[in-house]
Amino acid sequence: MLNYLIRRLAIGALTLLLITFVIYGLIRKMPGTPLTVDMAEMDPSKQISPERAKQLAAIYGLDKPWPQAYLHWIGNVARGDLGRSYSRKQPVLKIISERIGPTLLLSIPSLMISYLLSIPLGLYCSARDGKSDERVISTILYMLYSFPAFVAALFLQLLFAVHLRWLPLFGMMSDHYETLGTWGKTCDIFWHALLPVTVFTYGGLAYDARFIRANMQEVLRQDYIRTARAKGLGPVGVIWKHAFRNTLIPLVTLIGLTLPGLLSGSVIVEQIFTWPGMGRQFFESITERDYPTVMGLTLMFSVLTLAAQLLADMLYAVVDPRIRLED
Amino acid sequence: MMFWMMEYRTRSGKSLPAIFAFALLLASSGCPKAPDYPKEDSDVTESKSTGAAEEEPSFPPLEPYSPPALADLDKTAEWEDRPVLDAMKMYRALKAQEPELVSVKEALKLKNNSDEDNNKILSALGRPPASEKDVNFDADIKRHLFSDIKTTNPLLQSSTADVDVVGMTSIGFFSFDWKMEPFAPVETVVSWQTSKNKLYDKVVIRDDLVWSDGKPITAHDVVFSFQTLMNPKIPIPAVRTGMDQLRWVEAYDDHTFVIFHKQSLATNVWNCNFPVIPKHIYEESIPKDLTMTDSDYHQKYEQNPVCGGPYRITKRVKGQEIVLERREDWYMHNGKQVRPKPNYKQIRFRVIQDATTARLALNDGQLDEMELQARQWVEQTNDDAFYARNTKVRGVQWVYYHFGWNLKTPYFSDLRVRQAMSYAVNYDQILNKLNYGLYKQSTGEFPDGHWAAPEKPRQPYVQDLAKAEQLLNEAGWTDSDGDGIRDKKINGKPVKFEFSVMCNNEQFRIDVCTSLAESLNRLGILCHVKPTEFTVWQQNAIEHKFQALFGGWGTGTDPSTLANLWKTGEGRNACGFSSKEVDALFVEGERELDQSKRAEIYRKIDQILWDEQPYTWLYSRSGFYAFNKNVRGYMFSPRGPFHYSPGFDAIWTVAAP
Repeated sequence: MLNYLIRRLAIGALTLLLITFVIYGLIRKMPGTPLTVDMAEMDPSKQISPERAKQLAAIYGLDKPWPQAYLHWIGNVARGDLGRSYSRKQPVLKIISERIGPTLLLSIPSLMISYLLSIPLGLYCSARDGKSDERVISTILYMLYSFPAFVAALFLQLLFAVHLRWLPLFGMMSDHYETLGTWGKTCDIFWHALLPVTVFTYGGLAYDARFIRANMQEVLRQDYIRTARAKGLGPVGVIWKHAFRNTLIPLVTLIGLTLPGLLSGSVIVEQIFTWPGMGRQFFESITERDYPTVMGLTLMFSVLTLAAQLLADMLYAVVDPRIRLED
Repeated sequence: MMFWMMEYRTRSGKSLPAIFAFALLLASSGCPKAPDYPKEDSDVTESKSTGAAEEEPSFPPLEPYSPPALADLDKTAEWEDRPVLDAMKMYRALKAQEPELVSVKEALKLKNNSDEDNNKILSALGRPPASEKDVNFDADIKRHLFSDIKTTNPLLQSSTADVDVVGMTSIGFFSFDWKMEPFAPVETVVSWQTSKNKLYDKVVIRDDLVWSDGKPITAHDVVFSFQTLMNPKIPIPAVRTGMDQLRWVEAYDDHTFVIFHKQSLATNVWNCNFPVIPKHIYEESIPKDLTMTDSDYHQKYEQNPVCGGPYRITKRVKGQEIVLERREDWYMHNGKQVRPKPNYKQIRFRVIQDATTARLALNDGQLDEMELQARQWVEQTNDDAFYARNTKVRGVQWVYYHFGWNLKTPYFSDLRVRQAMSYAVNYDQILNKLNYGLYKQSTGEFPDGHWAAPEKPRQPYVQDLAKAEQLLNEAGWTDSDGDGIRDKKINGKPVKFEFSVMCNNEQFRIDVCTSLAESLNRLGILCHVKPTEFTVWQQNAIEHKFQALFGGWGTGTDPSTLANLWKTGEGRNACGFSSKEVDALFVEGERELDQSKRAEIYRKIDQILWDEQPYTWLYSRSGFYAFNKNVRGYMFSPRGPFHYSPGFDAIWTVAAP
């Protein structure tokens, strides 16, 4: 087990180096620099001269070849310094840490709701396969899966924020947030999060439920299920004790790979609801060619992805006794 | 954006594929190289931008200078008084002359469906209060920002959002009015004089100005700010531009400073207009942290800056909002009111990037003003839900759109081809269908009403495909092989007339370019529309890595700022236009001090550009704004309702009856 872990961590570190090297090279090769966007937004009277642009590029370290700049960046990362955002005038670590809370506020409830609903829904659909209620649920799930998030967001905003005025239209907190007590603040954020969490959840919920149903159907066709049924086990026992346990392996993969997704946010939901999450930050950083922030976020997503894969592999051993990690 | 939608939908395998998809996205953006065309012997234009940049020295550090004693300067300067004005007084005087076409009550009931309605609404609601009793000084105003600010530091500001916010919190000693005429504001300046030879500007500032931490604002702050701005090691992006023409700034006492210019230029006044930061806050910290952002100390003041303007920042939630509060010590000094009280107790800038959400927020009363898109103006703000709380107004802004032709390509190096392009454009479709008939066709750099606009309005181009065909034939672009596409032999090699027009990846812009492509197709020219990410568009334009482009420009405060568009090798000269005469005229325009002669010079430049057609000028865009019905006092300048003096200062909220 220890050998396995060490080997995986070593491979993970190499993969991380490779990913960051490739991404660094690609973003530096993209047309545009942090100065490009600055110049586009500037007052025409205040455009930077080519000479000054060159000087600023040198100050920002953009004049160095990218492999050299990468080595500089990775060296700083090794010392725990992710650098400073060109456009936001702040340390990258601070920018990321400011966005983690709001992102998790959307993603954790969304993930929990999604699994809490999708597992029973998936199992129910498997048990009722071909029946009219299963078809209705499957059709609704299919429709939800294909319904665009920006349209759903608009409908929900119009209904719950504009017409019924039950929920806030946008933002994460009310104007008078500071004046509220702890309970008031919690409720305030809860009300603000309801619509974005709904939009963030329904697509994933539909996907997960359909995923579980599809896997269950695959498992239910196996010989050992027929055997279980032949020996007189009831449908609940067959599904819960025999079939569901065997659908857990792909589900564990799914859950494992969700871990980095917890922090990646969603550009669309965050933009529509003015939610200060990671998705918007990543998108804006790419547009602004804010290399340190893009790399900081890339590093975080990469580490989480590799950690999630390792976690999923270890969980396989838990859910499937045939798997031995030493193998 | 599409990538993120897909990523959201498939939760399985989310991040690793996301990273590689991102990598692919980046790779697919590519790093385009300048197209490699056979060289045409008759290439008339060759930009030397990169070469010039390499040869010229970088932004120079401040050279040591020993300024003369003030008494000596006073003896020799032959000071001439310059305007120290009260912008609000000028605004009130202007509005007093304009008739109120309808009553306020009638204006509030009107729906803005025509120019006539627009004039009526502006005449009744775009007015100063009759008396101070009409103003609700306890009101807050919720303003809209499409993007978050990048900094609160006046020296580091660069984006429009920065200017909106920092403009409220920072202090300045120069400004300009709705006619773009410079003056010193009476709120901060006692006197402003310029020497007869235009080499010195002497400014005496008021002694009742304090920073938000209570320390006095002095001429030493101005000198310190100047020296900080001129330090080439500090990464100041925008506000330094033009300041390389300043030789020195000297404080002679706490309230008197003199700006020394290197040359007598008509544009010197614009170079004096730089932001000021508190010396006592930054004097010791800047040498330790030249970035002005890295250290904890600078981060503290980035979040809570010491402000010199009428408002201070009290709250900043990244990506959400910035809240400003009126400074009592801005207008009260030693218990006495020394300046007009700013009209709002609080300004809340809400960052809402989604245009639909912003419009819903406006309908819901969560925004009091918002700039509307043309489509929103025409289609989404006509219902009762909008008019229940709001009204809307429009005004001409000096922002024009154009097709730009890369003069380095074999297609567009020939004037006849550029003229053919201008004859080929379907103006009717672009102006009346795609832009809803909202705009006027533009005919050059200066719109009607500009002091350098042609004395006799020009005849705009109209679509004339026969004329375009004739010009293309004359230029040698014919269909020699009968494949339906025009071609030409350049240095012995056949070249087909096939090019791409680059635009930002917005549907409206794609539609405008598609209109061009359809028109050209009828002439036997293959034109591909190339939607491009904004930053890539900008970089390709700077590096001339395009064949044609669709874009737009706002106006600077003075026509001399067009030099960075049309002088050889300048940063915004994407088309690679080069004319010795135009280069010389820009230099002359800066040196000429007589306004009418300057107008002649810039008219000449404009005429050369019109004759050369490096752009096909399309239309000047209007500014469309929605305001809450309780908000009054808005007036449009060529730079919109806010970015001039008095601009936002004139806006007020009506007191409850």
